[in-house]
Amino acid sequence: MLKTIACFKWVIDDADIRIDAGTRKLVLDRAGYKISAYDRNAIEEAVLLQEKHGGTVCAVTVAPSSAKACLKDALSRGPDNACYINDPSFADLAPAQTVSILAAGIKAGIEFDLIICGEGSGDLYTQQVGPALAETLGIPCITYVNKLTYSESDRRITAERKLEDGIEVVSAALPALVTILPDINTPRIPTLKQVLGAAKKPALNVTLDSLGPAGDPCLKTVGIQAAVMDRKKIRFAADAEGIRAAVGALLKEVAIA
Amino acid sequence: MDFNLTEEHKLIRANVREFCEKFVDPIAEQTDAEPKFPMETVKKLAEQDLLGIPYPTEYGGAGSDYLSYIIVIEELSRACATTGFTLEVHSSLASFPLFKFGTEEQKKKYLVPLCKGEMLGAFALTEPGAGTDAGAASTVAVKDGDHYVLNGSKIFISNAPVAGVIIAFALTDKSKGTKGLSAFIVPQGTPGLIIGKHLNKMGIRGSLTSEVLFKDCRVPAENLLGQENQGFKIAMMTLDGGRIGIAAQALGIAQAALDESIHYSKERVQFGKPIAALQAIQWMIANMATEIEASRFLTYKAAWNYDQGLPYSKEAAMAKLFASETAARQTNRAVQVHGGIGFIKGHKVERLYRDAKITEIYEGTSEVMRMVISGSVLR
Repeated sequence: MLKTIACFKWVIDDADIRIDAGTRKLVLDRAGYKISAYDRNAIEEAVLLQEKHGGTVCAVTVAPSSAKACLKDALSRGPDNACYINDPSFADLAPAQTVSILAAGIKAGIEFDLIICGEGSGDLYTQQVGPALAETLGIPCITYVNKLTYSESDRRITAERKLEDGIEVVSAALPALVTILPDINTPRIPTLKQVLGAAKKPALNVTLDSLGPAGDPCLKTVGIQAAVMDRKKIRFAADAEGIRAAVGALLKEVAIA
Repeated sequence: MDFNLTEEHKLIRANVREFCEKFVDPIAEQTDAEPKFPMETVKKLAEQDLLGIPYPTEYGGAGSDYLSYIIVIEELSRACATTGFTLEVHSSLASFPLFKFGTEEQKKKYLVPLCKGEMLGAFALTEPGAGTDAGAASTVAVKDGDHYVLNGSKIFISNAPVAGVIIAFALTDKSKGTKGLSAFIVPQGTPGLIIGKHLNKMGIRGSLTSEVLFKDCRVPAENLLGQENQGFKIAMMTLDGGRIGIAAQALGIAQAALDESIHYSKERVQFGKPIAALQAIQWMIANMATEIEASRFLTYKAAWNYDQGLPYSKEAAMAKLFASETAARQTNRAVQVHGGIGFIKGHKVERLYRDAKITEIYEGTSEVMRMVISGSVLR
């Protein structure tokens, strides 16, 4: 029986982010939240493995206490249960803090053979939580996975890693952790009955008091501003001479090579 | 008082929005232009449990509430008014009377496959000589042993060519007008049931709307829905709920018109700046957004009344009246914001403009809505 944990993060829906034109600050007062895109793939992959091999799927998140709505969203996507590790202070955690909280929560009472994480989160995309969690739990980690299979006979997983220079196929004995890329699957849209059934599934509420301190952040966010792309608006004549001059100027600036 | 949607309602909206982005938006233009009935979408809606949203699970429904259903129609119509309307006819006009007035056997035989999406439903009340004046119907049903024999013709019957079952109305007592009307469950394939001419519509062109003819159409007596001569009450109760659905359809069309107008006015540059920087455009957008918000509150309130078991006839009429007239106004404004390009085939606002008009007409015209509302408040 395969016991899988799918980790997910509840992030601001980037479609709702507005930019204040004067200060370049992000205007978030009307922003909604959603499950980080790659984490939806993580949940889907866990559910696909369960459909093929049986076992259980637990969706785990570390989130502020105001994020309870994430549970129904996650559970409507197929997991049997969820673990909601929350505290009002968990709003802007550094990756190392998330890892220590997540590891403590998992150690405290979630049995697992396999942990699936998205390669990176939709907001910060640090790609640190998956590998650091594996390290903290002392289990092997396979990153950049775009295909995953499980062999019941020898209880091993085989993964295809999509790297810049090719595909690497690796195998690991369980327990293990994988971080996955979005092309591994297409998450299904939950059906209406799944949405309505999510409220009936068990969700374990784990608070910071039961886990101990999360540690100090080694990162500090001092400000967030929207990136602005200023166009140079260079005009040039559309004849051969004009184009040659424009390309020559760009080459000189090493803007193109 | 709480204006928040529940977590479930928010998830349902987000999921349907994703469904539309994947499966409805990409074919909406083709659905209108060819025109082509979106049968593949209907099958996918069934897979998502969306063909029997407010009906209990024991009848194949999703066991959700009316507000969920309304949100789904709103979102579908925002992408494609034909698709939203197809669901509305199926769920409100065909499934509701079966759910409310059907015997246990009738529900098992017809409501269950309707809710599961194994077949679509249609509703045949309107006749060439009996639109708003339903009592002027000339289709008759004469009892003959253990059958009724139906004769007459119906017009503007949506979903009829693809429906597995039609809820049809006919006079069982000609002398009594509306009080002599009865409702019948007529399965497709019943001898004497003829799907007539397909009607070439101005809007919601992908929806299949046709004449329905009964020529010595023998319907088993067990297919009488409710009691004999109870048909007018069944039709009016069905249309009361349906009107909330049409309000939601109009709301979705209007919202799409606003979305398109916001997007276009930020992109379109005239006089060296986006036209959204011009007060003339800003005021149009402000009016659109405000009237749409008011439509939404009226529509959701009517659905909420339904869910609470409160009277909703007046609320449904107000929602339909305001939302449909809002849709007509906002799609007009949206074309105006777009200028010439909005008048060109293939542009979404051109389609929205045509799709909006029918919401002021079907399932009770704006004039009938004013009759219902005034009848209620002047009582």
